[in-house]
Amino acid sequence: MFSEAAKKELQEIRLRYPNARAALLPALYVAQREFGWLSPDAYETVSDLLGVPKAIARGVGTFYAMYKHKPAGRNIVQLCTNVSCMILGAERLVDFLKNKYGLEPGGTTQDERFSLVIMECIGACGTAPAMLVNDDFYENLTENYIEEILQRYK
Amino acid sequence: MEKILLKNIENPNSTDINEYIKAGGYTSLPKAIGMVPKDVTEEVKKAGLRGRGGAGFPVAMKWTFASADPKFPKYLLCNADEGEPGTFKDRPILEKNPHLLIEGMAISGHALSAEYGYIYLRGEYPAAKHILEKAISQAYDKGFLGDNIAGKGVKFHLAVHQGAGAYICGEETALIESLEGDKGQPRIKPPFPVNVGVFAKPTVVNNVETLSNLPYLIAVGGEAYSKIGSPDCPGPKIYCVSGHVEKPGVYELPMGTILRDIIYTHCGGIKGGRKLKAVIPGGISTPVLPPDKIDCPMDFVNMPKHGSMLGSGAVIVMDETVCLVKVCYRALRFFEHESCGKCTPCREGTGWLRKILGRIEKGEGMDGDIDLLLSISGNMLGKTFCPLGDGAASVVQNFIKHFRPEFEDHIRSKTCTVAG
Amino acid sequence: MIKVTINGKEINLEKAMTVLEAARSAGIKIPTLCYHEQLEKYGGCRLCLVEVERMPRLQTACTLMVTDGMVVRTETEAIANVRRSVLEFLLINHPLDCPYCDKAGECELQDLVEKYGPATSRFKESKRKVTESLEDPVLVRNMERCIVCTRCVRMCEGVQGAAAIAVIDRGGHSHIEPFSGGKFDCEYCGNCVSVCPVGAIMSRLHRHSYRPWQLVSETETICPYCGVGCTLVVQVRDDVIKRVVPRIGTAVNNGLLCSRGRFGYEFVGHKDRLTAPLIKKDGVFEEATWEEAIRLIARRLGEIKDTFGGSSIAGIASPRCTNEDNYVFQKFMRVTLGSNNIDSTARTGYAGAQAFIENIFGQGATANLIPGLSNSDAVVVAGGDPTAMNPILGLQIRACARKGGNILTIGHIKGLRHYTPVELRPSLFSEDILLEGILSALKDKKGLPGSNQILEGKIKDINLSSAEVTRVCGISEKDFALFIDKLSGASNAAVVIGKEVVQSSGGSYRLLLLAAITYLINGRVYLLSERANEQGLLDMGCAPDLLPGYRPLGYAEFRKKYEIAWKSPLPEQPGLTIFEMIEAAKSGLLKAMYIMGENPVFNMPNSKEVEAALKKVDFLIVQDIFLTESARLADVVLPALSWSEKNGTYTNMERRIQRLRKAVTREGMEDWRIVLEIARNMGSKMNYEDSENVFFEISRVSPLHRDLGYEEIEKGTAIYPYKGEPLRSLTEEIRTEKGGSIESAGKLYLRLERPLFHSGTLSRKSQALVNIYAGAVARISPGTAGRLSLKDGDIIRISSGIGSLDLPLAVEKAVEDSVLMLTNNFEGRGAFSLMEYSIDPVTKAPVIDGNVVTVEKVGR
Ligand SMILES: Cc1cc2nc3c(=O)[nH]c(=O)nc-3n(C[C@H](O)[C@H](O)[C@H](O)COP(=O)(O)O)c2cc1C
Ligand code: SF4
Ligand code: FES
Repeated sequence: MFSEAAKKELQEIRLRYPNARAALLPALYVAQREFGWLSPDAYETVSDLLGVPKAIARGVGTFYAMYKHKPAGRNIVQLCTNVSCMILGAERLVDFLKNKYGLEPGGTTQDERFSLVIMECIGACGTAPAMLVNDDFYENLTENYIEEILQRYK
Repeated sequence: MEKILLKNIENPNSTDINEYIKAGGYTSLPKAIGMVPKDVTEEVKKAGLRGRGGAGFPVAMKWTFASADPKFPKYLLCNADEGEPGTFKDRPILEKNPHLLIEGMAISGHALSAEYGYIYLRGEYPAAKHILEKAISQAYDKGFLGDNIAGKGVKFHLAVHQGAGAYICGEETALIESLEGDKGQPRIKPPFPVNVGVFAKPTVVNNVETLSNLPYLIAVGGEAYSKIGSPDCPGPKIYCVSGHVEKPGVYELPMGTILRDIIYTHCGGIKGGRKLKAVIPGGISTPVLPPDKIDCPMDFVNMPKHGSMLGSGAVIVMDETVCLVKVCYRALRFFEHESCGKCTPCREGTGWLRKILGRIEKGEGMDGDIDLLLSISGNMLGKTFCPLGDGAASVVQNFIKHFRPEFEDHIRSKTCTVAG
Repeated sequence: MIKVTINGKEINLEKAMTVLEAARSAGIKIPTLCYHEQLEKYGGCRLCLVEVERMPRLQTACTLMVTDGMVVRTETEAIANVRRSVLEFLLINHPLDCPYCDKAGECELQDLVEKYGPATSRFKESKRKVTESLEDPVLVRNMERCIVCTRCVRMCEGVQGAAAIAVIDRGGHSHIEPFSGGKFDCEYCGNCVSVCPVGAIMSRLHRHSYRPWQLVSETETICPYCGVGCTLVVQVRDDVIKRVVPRIGTAVNNGLLCSRGRFGYEFVGHKDRLTAPLIKKDGVFEEATWEEAIRLIARRLGEIKDTFGGSSIAGIASPRCTNEDNYVFQKFMRVTLGSNNIDSTARTGYAGAQAFIENIFGQGATANLIPGLSNSDAVVVAGGDPTAMNPILGLQIRACARKGGNILTIGHIKGLRHYTPVELRPSLFSEDILLEGILSALKDKKGLPGSNQILEGKIKDINLSSAEVTRVCGISEKDFALFIDKLSGASNAAVVIGKEVVQSSGGSYRLLLLAAITYLINGRVYLLSERANEQGLLDMGCAPDLLPGYRPLGYAEFRKKYEIAWKSPLPEQPGLTIFEMIEAAKSGLLKAMYIMGENPVFNMPNSKEVEAALKKVDFLIVQDIFLTESARLADVVLPALSWSEKNGTYTNMERRIQRLRKAVTREGMEDWRIVLEIARNMGSKMNYEDSENVFFEISRVSPLHRDLGYEEIEKGTAIYPYKGEPLRSLTEEIRTEKGGSIESAGKLYLRLERPLFHSGTLSRKSQALVNIYAGAVARISPGTAGRLSLKDGDIIRISSGIGSLDLPLAVEKAVEDSVLMLTNNFEGRGAFSLMEYSIDPVTKAPVIDGNVVTVEKVGR
């Protein structure tokens, strides 16, 4: 179930659109926050609240890369490896995360502190390589810098 | 050149509405509202403004189509899905100059008699979401958005709609589907969005940068605006340069600036004085150019004549240390990942190409692989539902066209001799 | 006129259409895969790409509309290349398991590859691997074979409206899944199976049991289940039904089927089918020869008739039997036995409701075309869920919503919930008030049309303020106002009435209110019908007061005509209704009963009473295909041929007369032939060669069927009134009886659940349907569960005044508060075993909505 605050948020979101269906993407974001990931329960809740059939909601949700369909770690490291980042060493950083933290692309650390998602371009090519940790951008990454950044996330 | 789109972004409070107003903002909106909608469009037409999202479509023409449709309400959608790899030109506007965009949208809304607007913002820009939402609420408070803009009874409402990680949603009909709460898969055209767009209503989709041109354009008038940059394709343009240059970043320059000048003059040349190997001039979907082909004016009209496209103006510079087979492979991995799956050639072709390229890159290429790549991409080009598949195919074709020996060498040596 | 040139051939078109349609109309073939004529355009597979002059890119013929002067080429070398390459793309990840795949032989991909495809594969990588999903009892999903044409999804969402499956993930990972990822948990229409061009979604029923080219015969016939009368094609091998499929272009269902129609055929070949007549000796059944059985029956019926008179014998006809069966049966009862005691389970609602409506609007008032529903601008639904009772009719209502019509539901109509702008759910026992309120509001808004004085006389007396209505019914004023607004604005409205209206206290009054609402909005009435030939049996005169052609027995003039035609005097006294028969049997007045194709012990409320009554009858004959609860009580049991084993006709709820055709052969006799044998043994001169022969007589004596023959029927246009004239409206005084007010607080009411997957005796012998819906479950709302401290999954004992049952409990949001829903579909666990009834004095239907039960938890 959604918390009261989330329900209220959804009601506000709903008012931005002429029909309930259009609120699906934002509603799935809210659900992802509430449930941690888009579990079957999360989909059923959204389906009930918006009146969108649950199979459809799930079909839509799984189309988009930023919705999580399995439980993730507390912090999501989203590292870009697209061309601009790649030619400036992003792949080395992937290896670094694997070796140093045991963090595989698509995986989660044992202590559930981090999950790693390999991103397509995140729009930080001029300051490549770059990543997002949760909602925060980090650019001009090096191994040392990553280590320093990750310390900030518990 | 005076900065128009990136004006004031060094100001740490640039996102605040008062700072924006102090710098002369929100003066064009009342001016536009004082004009009849048709006249606003007329100015845009005089200015010769073309869309900055990649296709370079004349803005006034699109607006005229939508205005001519009798259905109401009409919608204005801002394409802030900036997903073309290498592109980061809209982000500074979204994060540092949100009011410029909002003012531009309100002007455009008036020209179209559109009552509702949405900014379709890519999910990967969470910071921009908060900044935009705050800016929008400030604009409401000051009466630049709402039911009675500038006290003239003009109505325009604006909200941010956050995407969720799908490059294809940058394509305007996929964007509309996504806004409606569906998968971002392109729609059959016709009908075109200008007639049957979001919620089945007339809809204009314009890029962030395109819309951000409007306050200035209205302030100085179409005539004066058209004097900036290329005659066929006027205005300022944000070029975003990444890769092996000394000073990567965003550069607002007159449209039509020569690619070589962008790299060597504005960006300080190739990093560490190394040798230039290849340039992708307009985002990853645009044809790659070898070093001897970079004396081209970067605009929508001239780039095709030089064998590439302006695209989003995202210049990716690669020096001699880069393995182009690998770049090509990585590009196809991207297209495979982003193919929406609706049409056969793109859904199956991108994966197939990626697999072959991956094999060559790993040193497991076989004789005939290059011809196979060309054949498969030939079977995709022009046959896919939307330009995403074309982009994928043309990337392969152009990399092979300009750098075939490198591919052959990979197959022959069974390893990469460039990057080791 | 639009002129297009395709491959040099000039084509002139009357109306706009796609290039594909234009080409096909001129006999030019363009291969397609994602295109399907029943579905929304898609343009995804790219197989239909063609060259169009003055267009830079190749165009998909399936989406591009023709314009005047367009020049198209479909057979160039470039196009041949495209087709080859698209098929190559589709094959790279498609397993080459045709020798093993059930679809081989009718696989569109296989056929296309053979015709246009590449000869060899250039794909050296490994194919996508996905294990076949066998988690569902009925459908198998093989996503390796899926080509992502999305036909199934477009069918499920856009046509069926179930939205149970979707494309999951994107790009090369795209695949089709139901929400659970395994079991479909859907409406099981199987229409996804129909449209899948490859072997990606298939039925498990005939898995690996034949190849399409081994099917020996295909027979077009009519579904045995509900009153919609869908055409289905029965495919047979070795005299076994292998598959049932729909066909595009048929009158009612046009390529669609529901779960019962598609998957409910297994009863035909069930091992429990009766094979020989049974005679009970000392309480034990013994197999007998036909001769013995028939001679025994003829002798006993003769004796009883001679001793106690014809009126001591009663017959129950069957809404699952053909018109021919029922016609011969009633003629036998009337002419040979001299009894008008003939009736059927149509008395449980349909017959009375129809008579009531016809009395107001004239005969044939309910004969409205089902596909026409989708063109309505408003559809009012009351008395049950059409998407469960008459699923294909339900689809037309959903289609209406999709076309912009307003679906306005009264009560808990689950299958239409996503389709209504407003649903009104009155509190328990306040439906009458709600209808009165709707009527009053409509009257105020629209005034009286002035064409039916008797009805208007009634309407004038009904005045209820909306404030009062909404208060009593517990609905919001906003919803009520919206409902009235949408309804009063309609100019082409339909009113769909389900059985629950009639089976509730004050049913006749409720019908009057619905009729009056229909009158004020100038709408059409649809009466839901649960059995395939419920209408037909009434048309055939299987009612105590009706002669064939719906002629009232009470009119001497009509009776005379039949006496002449049948060369026999007819009993004048109207006979007993099915409920009166039970009473008469109980009191010993009925000495013999002949039940044809019906199972009253199971299908009538208060089963125990019915059972006791039948036990009291001296001589009971039951003719059926299974040894049902009722057959077990019989003195003689006669095995009949079933639905797909015989010829004949059914009449659906639109009064469309359709041909039932024999698809499989089985030893034995049709119902009418058995009756005929008995009649002849009793000295009757009746004789018919075959069912067509019977129908010929029907067409001579029944004015509704005048001059109608099988040949005409086969054209599919034999709809009421066929050539014959209908009766004029016989409007007499409209009699109604209001229901008393009922105090419902704190009580729990037992209500009948009418599930999509079952309908009595046939469905529970069809394994697929049983697999989908396996057994009786009691359902209550979360609110009621809370009040009673019960939880989902508890085993509860439900007790009523006449019995008790232990059942698992399901707590579901869709159930009304203070109500316990239970089906009457599973042996020994039917709701009717707990329900008592009273008879509505006007419609003669049983009133069952007031059954109070108590529940206690007995386990988990
Ligand atoms: C695959 C694909 C991706 C696209 N991505 C973007 C994008 O990220 N941002 C954008 O503004 N336009 C993008 N476009 C272009 C849009 O479809 C559309 O042309 C544009 O938003 C129109 O705005 P404009 O006229 O202002 O350029 C994309 C087009 C395609 C085919
Ligand atoms: S399952 Fe069949 S119908 Fe559905 S998408 Fe796949 S191939 Fe098409
Ligand atoms: S049939 Fe036209 S694209 Fe598939």
